[in-house]
Amino acid sequence: MDLIGNILYDTVYHSAPIILCVIGGVFAFKANVLNIALEGMMLIGAFVSTLVGFFTGNLILACALAVLASFALGLIFSFMGVTLKGNVIVIGLAINMLAPAIAGFVMVLMSTSNITIPGLNVADLQINIPVIGQIPIVGDILSGHPILTYVAFIGIALMWALMYKTRFGTYVRVVGENEDAARSLGLKANTYKYAAILIGAVCCGLAGVNLSTERMGMFTNNMTASRGFIAIAAIYCGRGDPLTSSLYAIMFGFARALAINLAIYAGPASGLFDVIPYILMVAVLAVVSVAQRRNVKTRGFVNG
Amino acid sequence: MKLHILGRRLLNSILPVLLAFVVGGIVIVAIGENPFETYAILLEKSLFTSRGFFTTLHYASPLILTGLAIAVTFKANIYNMGVEGSMLLGAFFAGIAGAYLPETLNPLLMQSICLVIGIVCGVLFALVPALLKAYFHVDEMVVTLMLNYALSKVLEFLSTGVFRDVTSGYVCTPVIHENAMFGRIAGLRITPFFFIAIVGFIVMLVVMRRSKLGYEITAMGKNAEFSEATGMRVNRKIIILMVISGVLSGLAGAGWMMSEKFHYTLDFSGSPGLGWDGMLVSLLGGHSPVGVIIAAVLYAALKTGADNINMYSTVPKEIVSVVQALIVLFLAAKFIDERLGVRKQISEMLARRKAAKAGEEA
Repeated sequence: MDLIGNILYDTVYHSAPIILCVIGGVFAFKANVLNIALEGMMLIGAFVSTLVGFFTGNLILACALAVLASFALGLIFSFMGVTLKGNVIVIGLAINMLAPAIAGFVMVLMSTSNITIPGLNVADLQINIPVIGQIPIVGDILSGHPILTYVAFIGIALMWALMYKTRFGTYVRVVGENEDAARSLGLKANTYKYAAILIGAVCCGLAGVNLSTERMGMFTNNMTASRGFIAIAAIYCGRGDPLTSSLYAIMFGFARALAINLAIYAGPASGLFDVIPYILMVAVLAVVSVAQRRNVKTRGFVNG
Repeated sequence: MKLHILGRRLLNSILPVLLAFVVGGIVIVAIGENPFETYAILLEKSLFTSRGFFTTLHYASPLILTGLAIAVTFKANIYNMGVEGSMLLGAFFAGIAGAYLPETLNPLLMQSICLVIGIVCGVLFALVPALLKAYFHVDEMVVTLMLNYALSKVLEFLSTGVFRDVTSGYVCTPVIHENAMFGRIAGLRITPFFFIAIVGFIVMLVVMRRSKLGYEITAMGKNAEFSEATGMRVNRKIIILMVISGVLSGLAGAGWMMSEKFHYTLDFSGSPGLGWDGMLVSLLGGHSPVGVIIAAVLYAALKTGADNINMYSTVPKEIVSVVQALIVLFLAAKFIDERLGVRKQISEMLARRKAAKAGEEA
C-alpha cells in the first residue's frame, strides 16, 4: 500500500514541471513556431530563482525574477526567430546552450558547484490539505505538494480554456494553420507568435522554480536533465492539445516514479531504471506517429 | 559564385562571431577584468605559437568529424542530435576493445579494430532514429535527444559496474593498451588521428561537392516532398545520410579515445560535449565541408585558449562557453541578405514598412 502511495505521490511530483512546460509550449506549437528552447528557459528559471533565494531569502521575489529571466530569453527567441526570421531550431539550441553557460559562469564566480538556499526547509513549502491528506491513496495524490504543482494541474484546464474558448486562442491557432490567410484577414501574425512564445517562456520559468527552489531548495547545473525535450515530445504526441499533451507528460512522470520506487528492489541494476522514461517516450512517440499516419494515404515521403 | 556574394557570406559568418566577442567583452568588463588582455591570451596561445597551434589542431580533429556528421544531416533538413550519442557509444566500445584485446597484437591491426568497432557502434546508434524517421515519420530530433540521455545513463551504468576499472579511485573503464594508442608526433600534441580526420574531410568534400548524393542532400534540404516527387527515394536517402553521420561520429569518438582520453570517464566528452561542439562548428561553417574545417580549427582555438585563460588570467574559462552560445545565437539570424547587400536590404525594408503603413491607413 505504501508503495502504491509513493508511486502516485512521485508521479504528481515528477509530472508537475513537465506539465508546466507542456501547457506553455503548446501555444508556440499551435502557432507553428517550434520552440525547442523550453529546456534553456526552464534552466534559467531554476537558476535565477535559487540565486535570488540565496542572496535575499525572499521566495516571492525569487519566483518573480525567475519568470522575468525566462521571459527575457523568450523575448530574445521571438525577436531573433519572428522579427529577424532566423532558424528557430538553431536559436532554440543557442538558448539551450546559453542558459547553462550563464549559470556555469556565475557559479564559478561564486566558486561553488551548486547553490543551496540557506535556512529553507522544503517541507514548509508543501501544502498539507487537512482532511483529504489523511485518506490513504487520494491523500498521496492531492496533498503535500508545493504550490506550483497545484498551479500546474489547474493550469491544464486554464490553458485548455485559453486555447479553445477565447478569441486569443483561436487567433493563435489560425496564425499557425495558415499565416498568409491570417494576415489577409488583418491579424497581426507576429504579435500572436510573440505572445505564444512568451506564454511558453513564463510557464517554463515557473517550471524551473518548481524544479529547483520549491522541490529541493537547491540548484545544480544541467539539473533539468532533458525535461524540456520530454515536454516537446509530449506536445508532439498530443498534437498540441493542452489536455492530451499533459496526459503524456503525466505518463512520463509515472514512468519516472515507477523507476525510482522500483529501483530500490533492483540492486545493482538500479542505474538502468533511469533509462526507462526516456525509452518509453521514444516508444510512445513511435506508436503515436504510426497511429496518426495509418489513415494517411499520401504516396511517397511527406515531411512531418 | 560572384565575389560580392562570397564576401557577404563571409561577413555573415564573421559578424556574429565579432558580436559574440563584444558581448563577452562587456561581461568581462562587468566582472572587473580587461577584455583585450583576455582575448589576447585566448588567441595568442592557441594560434600564434607553434606548440599552441598543433594543440589546436589536435583539439580540432574530433570536431572536424562531428562537424561533418552534423553538416551532412542538417544540410538535408534532418535534425540529427544523435551525433553526441553515436560519438559516446563509439568511444566507449573502442575503449573497451582497446583495453580487453591482447596487448601483443600488431599496433596497426589493433588500432584498426578499435576504429572499426567505434564506427559500427556509431552507425548502430544512428540507425534507430533513422529507421523510425524513414518508415514511421517519427520526429528525429526528439528521438535522438531522448536516446542521447538514455545512452549516457547506460554508459554510466556500464562504467560503474561491468567495465569498472577497480584499481582507479574514480569511475572509469580500464586504460587502453599501448598498442591501441595513437602516439604523439615529434613531441607535439598532434597525433595520426588528425590525419584520419583530414581523410574524412576529403572524402566528405568529394561526396558533398562532386557526387550525386551531395546534390540530393541539397535537394532534400530545399524541399523533401518535391525531391520525392521528382523520383528520389527520400526514405532511403535519410537512412544513408544517418549512416554516414554515424560513421563520422563513431570515428570521432574512437579516435578521441585513442589519441587523448585513453579510458572512458563520465566527463569523457567534456562540456557541452564534442557532438554539441560539432553542431556549432557545422552551423558556423554553413554546413559546407570547407566551412566546417575552418570553423573546427577556430573553435578548437577557443578551447585551447580557454585553458590558457585559466592559467594566465583570473577570468573564469566558462566565459568561453558563454561566447560560444552567443555565436550560435547570432549565427541563426542572417543580418545581411546575401543577394541584396546591406544598402538595398535597408531600403527594401523601409519600402515594405511604408507599404504596410499605407495599407493599414487605407
